[in-house]
Amino acid sequence: MEVLIALSIGVLTCCGVWLVLQSRTFQVLIGLALLAYGVNLFIFSMGSLSVGAEPIIRPGVPADLLHYTDPLPQALVLTAIVISFAATALFLVVLLASRGLTDSDHVDGEEERP
Amino acid sequence: MSLALLLALPFIGSVIAALLPSNARNAESTWSAAIAAAALVRVAVMFPQVRDGGVVREQIAWMPSAGLDLTIRVDGFAWMFAMLVTGIGFLVILYSRYYMSPSDPVPRFFAFLLAFMGAMLGLVTSGNLIQLVFFWELTSLTSFMLIGYWHHRADARRGARMALLVTAAGGLCLFGGALLIGRIVGSYELDVVLGAGAQLRADPLYRPLLVLVLIGAFTKSAQFPFQFWLPHAMAAPTPVSAYLHSATMVKAGVFLLARLWPVLSGTPEWFWIVGGAGLCTLLTGAYAAMFQHDLKGLLAYSTISHLGLITLLLGLDSPLAAVAAVFHIINHATFKAALFMAAGVIDHETGTRDIERLNGLFKAMPVTATLAMVASAAMAGVPLLNGFLSKEMFFAETVYIVSNPWIAWGLPIAATIAGVFAVVYALRFTVDIFFGEPSRDLPRSPHEPSRWMRVPIELLVLACLVVGIFPAQSIGPVLAAAANPVVGGDMPDYDLALWHGFNAPLVMSVLAMIGGALGYAWLRRQLARGRFRRAPIVGRLDGKSAFESLLARSSLVARHALEFLGTRRLQPQLFLLALIGVLAPTAAMWADGIGWGPRPRVPASPEFVAFSVIGIACAIAATWQATYHRLAALTMLGVVGLVVCLTFVWFSAPDLALTQLVVEVVTLVLFLLGLRWLPKRVAADDARPSLRVRVRRTRDLVLALVTGAGMAALSYAMLTRPAPQSISPFFLDQALPGGGGANVINVMLVDFRAFDTLGEITVLGVVALTVYALLRRFRPPRESARLPRQQNASQGVATDLVHPRTTPDTLPGYMLVPAVLVRWLLPIAGMIAAYLFLRGHNEPGGGFVAGLVVAIAIVTQYLVAGAQWVEARLELNPLRWIALGLLAAVGTGAGSIVFGYPFMTTHTAHIEVPALGVVHVPSALFLDVGIFAVVVGSTLLTLIALAHQSLRGRRLAAQAADEIHGPDAR
Amino acid sequence: MSVSSMPLMPHLIVMPVLLPLVAAAALLLIRESRHRVKAAVGIAATIGGLGVATTLLVAVNHGAGPAAIGIYLPSNWAAPFGIVLAVDRVAALMLVLTGAVSVAAALFSVGRWNRAGVHYHTLFQIQLVGVNGAFLTGDLFNLFVFFEVMLAASYGLLLHGSGTVRVRAGLKYIAFNLLASSLLLVGIAILYGVTGTLNFADIAQKIPQIPASDRGLLHAGAAILGVAVVAKAAMWPLNFWLAAAYSAAAAPVAAVFVILTKVGVYTVLRLWTLLLSAETGASAVFGSDALIVGGLATLAFGAIGMLASQQLRRVAGYSLIISSGTSLAVIGVGDATLIGAALLYLVGSTLASCALYLLAELIERSREIDAAPPIREHESDRLPFRLENRDTLAESEDDGVRPGTAIPAATSFLGLSFVACALMIAGLPPLSGFIAKFAMLSALLDPNSAGAPARHVAIAAMRTTLLVSLLVSGLLSTIALARAGLRHFWAPHDRAPPRLRVVECAPVAMLLLACAALAVGADPALRYTREAAQALVEPAPYIDAVMSATVVPGPAAALPMATGIATR
Repeated sequence: MEVLIALSIGVLTCCGVWLVLQSRTFQVLIGLALLAYGVNLFIFSMGSLSVGAEPIIRPGVPADLLHYTDPLPQALVLTAIVISFAATALFLVVLLASRGLTDSDHVDGEEERP
Repeated sequence: MSLALLLALPFIGSVIAALLPSNARNAESTWSAAIAAAALVRVAVMFPQVRDGGVVREQIAWMPSAGLDLTIRVDGFAWMFAMLVTGIGFLVILYSRYYMSPSDPVPRFFAFLLAFMGAMLGLVTSGNLIQLVFFWELTSLTSFMLIGYWHHRADARRGARMALLVTAAGGLCLFGGALLIGRIVGSYELDVVLGAGAQLRADPLYRPLLVLVLIGAFTKSAQFPFQFWLPHAMAAPTPVSAYLHSATMVKAGVFLLARLWPVLSGTPEWFWIVGGAGLCTLLTGAYAAMFQHDLKGLLAYSTISHLGLITLLLGLDSPLAAVAAVFHIINHATFKAALFMAAGVIDHETGTRDIERLNGLFKAMPVTATLAMVASAAMAGVPLLNGFLSKEMFFAETVYIVSNPWIAWGLPIAATIAGVFAVVYALRFTVDIFFGEPSRDLPRSPHEPSRWMRVPIELLVLACLVVGIFPAQSIGPVLAAAANPVVGGDMPDYDLALWHGFNAPLVMSVLAMIGGALGYAWLRRQLARGRFRRAPIVGRLDGKSAFESLLARSSLVARHALEFLGTRRLQPQLFLLALIGVLAPTAAMWADGIGWGPRPRVPASPEFVAFSVIGIACAIAATWQATYHRLAALTMLGVVGLVVCLTFVWFSAPDLALTQLVVEVVTLVLFLLGLRWLPKRVAADDARPSLRVRVRRTRDLVLALVTGAGMAALSYAMLTRPAPQSISPFFLDQALPGGGGANVINVMLVDFRAFDTLGEITVLGVVALTVYALLRRFRPPRESARLPRQQNASQGVATDLVHPRTTPDTLPGYMLVPAVLVRWLLPIAGMIAAYLFLRGHNEPGGGFVAGLVVAIAIVTQYLVAGAQWVEARLELNPLRWIALGLLAAVGTGAGSIVFGYPFMTTHTAHIEVPALGVVHVPSALFLDVGIFAVVVGSTLLTLIALAHQSLRGRRLAAQAADEIHGPDAR
Repeated sequence: MSVSSMPLMPHLIVMPVLLPLVAAAALLLIRESRHRVKAAVGIAATIGGLGVATTLLVAVNHGAGPAAIGIYLPSNWAAPFGIVLAVDRVAALMLVLTGAVSVAAALFSVGRWNRAGVHYHTLFQIQLVGVNGAFLTGDLFNLFVFFEVMLAASYGLLLHGSGTVRVRAGLKYIAFNLLASSLLLVGIAILYGVTGTLNFADIAQKIPQIPASDRGLLHAGAAILGVAVVAKAAMWPLNFWLAAAYSAAAAPVAAVFVILTKVGVYTVLRLWTLLLSAETGASAVFGSDALIVGGLATLAFGAIGMLASQQLRRVAGYSLIISSGTSLAVIGVGDATLIGAALLYLVGSTLASCALYLLAELIERSREIDAAPPIREHESDRLPFRLENRDTLAESEDDGVRPGTAIPAATSFLGLSFVACALMIAGLPPLSGFIAKFAMLSALLDPNSAGAPARHVAIAAMRTTLLVSLLVSGLLSTIALARAGLRHFWAPHDRAPPRLRVVECAPVAMLLLACAALAVGADPALRYTREAAQALVEPAPYIDAVMSATVVPGPAAALPMATGIATR
């Protein structure tokens, strides 16, 4: 299980970074989105992951991390999701504007001169 | 008047002078003269206090914590300099009243002149090395302003900049030197430093600090090899030259040398560097001066050589030489000031300074001519004039020096040769221009200047004579007082007399006179033949052009370096960031490394394996497709999002799953709206990638793989560590009793970490505003101006929901059914939202999710029914939603302040409701309302602003159609 | 000035965040067409912020030891469980600096820029929310959140006025910062995972107890966090975005951006001193060396850039980079006197760069006729939907490009202001630039603080290098600025004297007067910054103050609310 999580985080990051390094704005956009997924999963994985632990306080269940999921990373991830969503939206619009104004979807707003 | 006031006086005067009207020449000069006179008197009356080794001090605490106080310290030497600065300053002001033309903006002139005087005064009276550096740089700055006074002239600009940069650079070196001295001695106070000579000379840092200090002094005093800037400073108005290059600016360097003489001198380094530089300057300066054709140029080079003489004297390491140096400082100041002023008069009255063109001016201006001749005689060292005395002392020093034979013989000879040169250029300055056939073709017909323009010259020449004839009576006490501190208290015995009997120095003087006369006769013939337009050999090494090209080259080099060290392109920047983001942690954990922990692994279940694999595959596919098949990439991305969402579910994080889900939907809608304005890329657009590009891609791939591996390793290490120490149990404990909610996550968001949430919704709002502001100015790409095929396909069959026919943007008929159906979505969505919202505090849900659901519902209306239809019915003002949401959130927080609790403290009211029992109503509920409103507002604003581009698209399409075939084509 | 000892205004600590936030929300409710009202509200809020910051500074300066640290617990949860806001001398200083810069920028923008697009003042206020929050917070994740607020607002401001150049620069700026932010998140996550807490002070306490098996992870996390932060502090080679983005932005925007890099520097300073004091050994040394070398490289890069660039805006940008490099290197060397001097220098250089950005616009405008007019509203700019009807710029009220009433002696004003900026940046007398530089150099030469004996030689070498490069960079900037000055002021031209508006000249004059004041009151200023630095280098009082801050107990009866209130 851990292996899988780690693997998915790795793959997401790898794809994200690769795309971010590319020259087309849309690639960068997708890259940032993938990267965000990866990072969110990463934060999530900081809490001691466990299957079938309680996320909601139930009376009678002792309040420790063996019976409950670690709430802190989840809260952080929640915030992170929202912020990365906002960032993605903004970047999308900026790349549209750039495409419209510069007539190029290169990240520099102009094809690079070799 | 306290010394501090004396120091402040010129600056105050400068400010007031700057404020006077620009045409008030008389007011300006009178005011400035008054200031200078006041300062002069104040300084003069101090003489009794300083005459026999006394020191006047005044200290003002400035930065005691940094060991830096404003110490004004006037001993005999400083007093003498202060007299020169104020006295000659006074005369120069008097003179410039008549020199400056009414058209010149005089306020600037006098303001800077006074400021410079103040800086100079501060420099000579400063009793603290840092303070000295402070005023040193200030003189560089103000002199820059003065030299560049006529800044419409290119030579003035260049000269000013050269002077500034050379002297300021020297100042920085001096700064370094002063810091070193302070470090060694432990204080910057001059008194302490003057007492620590032995310690300084013994210190291992002596050489570096000596070099630094000397560079400072040499640049300021135009000593070899830094002499090149001075002649170009002659672009300044003549009064400025008279002031800067006789008594003040260039004297600052030798002032420093004399000031630190007791501390730094007496070592072979001092002897060789200072003496050597002085000798070179003395000879080259005098030599170059002979061949000048510009009056001021001649004076400039002679100034250089006289400064060299003073430096050489100070380098000789004998007290008597030091005394001679001080004496010559005074003398040179007087006659050189007079000469500059005379040159100014000639320039002013004839309109030219070219020695070739000027002839027989004696007839036209006898008085000025006489004055100039006397002054230049003093410069040449003719008996009965002050220049003679100090030059005699100099010759004596060179003769009686005890050193190896080379120097014992070489120095006197060199001195004599310099004397010869001096006589030659003195003759050129006088005979060439005042005698012979009066020249005709002068710009102006020469005549005596106005009375008061001559007075300053007369006074100075008078001084030359008096000192020359009755030295002991006139200058004796002053010299004694001034030289005493320089030699460190123990004065050598010397007598200031005209006649010392027939001795070597006298012989040398005589030789110099004769040789000079002969040399002049010869040189005159050569010049008459048109030879020597420029000084042989020395004239060729042109410091100016070297300096200019150095500047130009440096900025060129800098530009190349910048291109090499930096980039404006995005990809390299991101690459570097990612690269360093990988390298830094690797290096940091190299020592300890990371390992897998013993924590029991969670067994993998086939389902989880299955959808993880799907997710990974989709991620890779999205990467693959992102270049050309955007829609495909988008779909894959969506799948990845869903897998992430499932993962959250799997590890029992329902809130995350819910949020991720709705966010996915919104993101997808957003992207789809955006794609409409992103013209399709086809592989054919791009040529086959060049080798460089392919290399770069492999490089990127490697980096990406490494990063991925790193992240995987890190997360694996984290996942397998034994359960970490954490503050989380506290939250589980407190959620219900303290936070009044069973859903810990939600309680964290609205209570424990409510402050984060506040920031988070702020981000959301700002981004929405930015998007909106940006899209108002949106210019769609030309390619996407025309309507998409689907909409063109069904032109004309528009079934309008609002008012038939006119509406441009409503989608055609086949959308009618979905449109009608989707209307039912709104209330349902509203109900779901309300449900999610209300249960939020105890079950998965909350304001954020609810807000997104509502937003989605509304956007769906837009999608199927069109903007106008929706807005005809729905009163939407997203901005207000955002604003009110934020206010609600802040208000909730502020509410607790009212009750004396910190911001955002939650209270839970437990209210008895019949039939329902006790209902917990935490104040956090209102925060959740705020969140809800902001989310709805922001999301709508973003989506709608984007959606509305379709209307703009129609407009553009119409315009395009018009351009193609007339308005009636549609 | 802890919450208890300062009964009346414990809430003042949170005000630097709340005030601009409320102002921003309120501004949204004012119609765009009434831009005078908007401007008034914005400026009032900004000045209020400056006032609050000054009060805080005075308060912390009066207190001594732990009392000199104000702690605030939003949501009333004790550290480390809740979020903590802490204001000590450094934080207060930064808040005041932010206030000064923002007031200047806000005033200046009234001249024309606030009407170049919509919601300028809202974005501006939220920018302040982010910056102040980042200065105040004592919680790692909260720091991230406020970074994001700050950046989000900066994106908006950078794009304010739109246009190809800005969008082009904005795209790069945004992409770079998004990547940096994800690095930041990863770093924070790892630190949390290892230490199990997010509170600065608590982390500092927990670090010594980290088992050896986790050290590697800890260092990796710290390093990733560090990279993200120094990228924001514009350390070479992660600072190429700065000059480009800032010179593309509108003048007042660039002027307020001046503070952003300082947020990065401040964060490095704060975390560095806290974590390093807890963390000793090889990795700490590695870190400090990296900081020094990186800082020196940044310094050199900035100097070269200055020498190479022609436009004033770029010169200003590189002066910022120089200031960042100096600060980072100093932090790496890390002895109290030096950091104290560097803080003084930081303040001065920030004010000067801010003034230079504003000045650059005025000068350029006085050179060409109407150099940078805000893009005017076009009919086609409006989005044709309902909210536009309430929310459009009314052309009638828009007096954006009125040349303005000429102030007397405009040219000499520009010239003198430029000279003042140049003196500050080059560190020449008589302004505070020289004094701060002197303080730094003498601190560098101070024989008493030669660093750990183990690495005596290495430290000494680095100190010398830093000393020399400070002097040289001063010379290079002198050259660059002299050239710029000659070209802009002394080049022969016969054009009418520029027409400047008082609202645009006042801020510049204000900033420069502040620099002069720093020179006159150098001693108290330096003493303040030194005490601030001392508190940073010995963070024990800070940690105590944070960890011992008590929540306000909730006597249920005392609350005049509905019956049956249960409060913690």
